[in-house]
Amino acid sequence: MTEHTPSTAASSGDPATSFLQQHHFLFRRLHSLSGILPVGVFVIMHLFTNFQMLGGDFQHEVDFIHSTPALLVVEITLWLSIAFHAGLGLVYTFSGRPNVRRYRYGGNWRYYLQRITGFIALGFIFVHVATLRWRWDLFGWFTPFYVRGFDGQPLAHATTAMALQHARWVVAIYLIGAMSVVYHWSNGLWTSAITWGVTISAPAQRRWGYVCAALGIALTVFSLGAVVGALKYHVTDEDRRSIRMTVDFYESGGTDADTKPRPHTATHGHE
Amino acid sequence: MATNTDQKTIRFKVKRQDAPQTAPYWQDFDVPHPPGANVISCLLHIAANPVTADGRTVAPVAWDCNCLEEVCGACTMVINGRVRQSCSALISELAEEAAAVTLEPMTKFPVVRDLMVDRSRMFKNLIDIKAWVPIDGTHALGPGPTESPANQDTRYALSRCMTCGCCLEACPQFLLDNHFIGAAAISQARYFNAHETGKTLQDDRLEALETPGGVSDCGNAQNCVQVCPKDIPLTESIAAIGRQTTVHAIKSFFSGK
Ligand code: HEM
Ligand code: SF4
Ligand code: SF4
Ligand code: FES
Repeated sequence: MTEHTPSTAASSGDPATSFLQQHHFLFRRLHSLSGILPVGVFVIMHLFTNFQMLGGDFQHEVDFIHSTPALLVVEITLWLSIAFHAGLGLVYTFSGRPNVRRYRYGGNWRYYLQRITGFIALGFIFVHVATLRWRWDLFGWFTPFYVRGFDGQPLAHATTAMALQHARWVVAIYLIGAMSVVYHWSNGLWTSAITWGVTISAPAQRRWGYVCAALGIALTVFSLGAVVGALKYHVTDEDRRSIRMTVDFYESGGTDADTKPRPHTATHGHE
Repeated sequence: MATNTDQKTIRFKVKRQDAPQTAPYWQDFDVPHPPGANVISCLLHIAANPVTADGRTVAPVAWDCNCLEEVCGACTMVINGRVRQSCSALISELAEEAAAVTLEPMTKFPVVRDLMVDRSRMFKNLIDIKAWVPIDGTHALGPGPTESPANQDTRYALSRCMTCGCCLEACPQFLLDNHFIGAAAISQARYFNAHETGKTLQDDRLEALETPGGVSDCGNAQNCVQVCPKDIPLTESIAAIGRQTTVHAIKSFFSGK
């Protein structure tokens, strides 16, 4: 077997590095695949679900997601995929040196933005999950997201609306975060077709670019719709009372087993 | 040398370096340029009159060149911030861009002296991907397979590479101190894989391109294709090698050793 022997760089003896190096090609392709499939397909579904906040039946969609069999397995798969993709993504980001100031071509900007939006996505996904999923209290921005109250009351739209309506900076974080993820995924879908050798000729790359741009625009519309839907929702006193009681219920040690029957179970484990 | 008074003069800002390990420094030269002058002809003038703009006599500026018609790639340098061949860089055009002409050596190769760099990494990379057609043997092999005209057309475009290094200089993934093989060698692998006899080494080439520093280190910035002076469809080559490595990897997963 021929090997492309590094001419200038010293080979590293570090075992972790050499494991990566030994399976270099495989890891690169798995990185690409992990970005497109588990993470990407989830993001598409997620953004579409959120879009239902604008006129659709958001509660129904969320209930549907929470009724997915083996939701925990799906969740763990997603976590592993994101960790894998983000970890390698960071390694790959630091293996290059952007030069957009000298070479101001569109493609070079897209390359640069792919890396910037990767970083933003990492930060955003963390904040998003920490607040809405783990119910962390960040800077007084307590977002008690519950799909349904302890009494079975639908709360998905109300709690999401409360989270977004907390402050302008929350809306800004959501817009920037969502736009970054949408760009990163759409552009990644475009480059992945070159990586795998699906689009070869320049016209084919251009055509596929239009398809990816159209997907990106659709996802942008979904995300904007979701934010508008969350901002337009009028949080009633009834909602607030129900949320308060649900928070108290879980904080005082209540478990799902004590609640009234609901169309879904589990996944609300109180952290 | 007597300077013709009706000739225009242009300021050259040259990034100089005395030896591979020493620090670079800048010097300015005022160079008269007759119509049709290019960067190499001005460098010849500086070599004959190594006097800086502030009147000091210095060591002549060193540079590399050979064909003087943009086919050998030896004279490649960074001119006004853009990598290109100095033999085909006309002063009349550069003067429209800026008041001075800035010359720097390429940054992705070790500097030998002044504007001369060592591009041997490019040639080593060509060896790594076996950029040749295997025809040596102990007996006559007879005529090779016929090349279709369509295939000849594709390969002709790729054959024009002069190993100048522009594509590597502009690439954000190809660095002085990493080991990405770069667009030129990837494209040459496609070139030789498309040759009916060259194909026999295809697996070796793809295996070399699947190692660290191979094709998957490309980040798809596509600067390479923008700066290639020979208009080589480098991003198509990268995608074509992407497909060949995909197929090769799947095949070796199922039927390889
Ligand atoms: C969480 C932090 C993330 C980081 C640091 C990151 C980083 C990166 C980087 C550096 C690349 C370019 C790889 C290359 O061209 O060699 C990339 C590609 C990609 N990323 Fe991410 N990413 C992140 C999250 C995401 C997310 C959330 C998605 C899905 C929405 C995603 C989808 C993709 C896709 C589809 C590609 C294209 C792969 C290819 O060109 O073959 N990434 N990512
Ligand atoms: S591919 Fe083009 S830019 Fe790169 S070395 Fe060959 S001729 Fe030069
Ligand atoms: S596409 Fe970009 S990263 Fe890939 S070789 Fe060309 S310049 Fe380098
Ligand atoms: S001297 Fe050969 S390309 Fe300029």
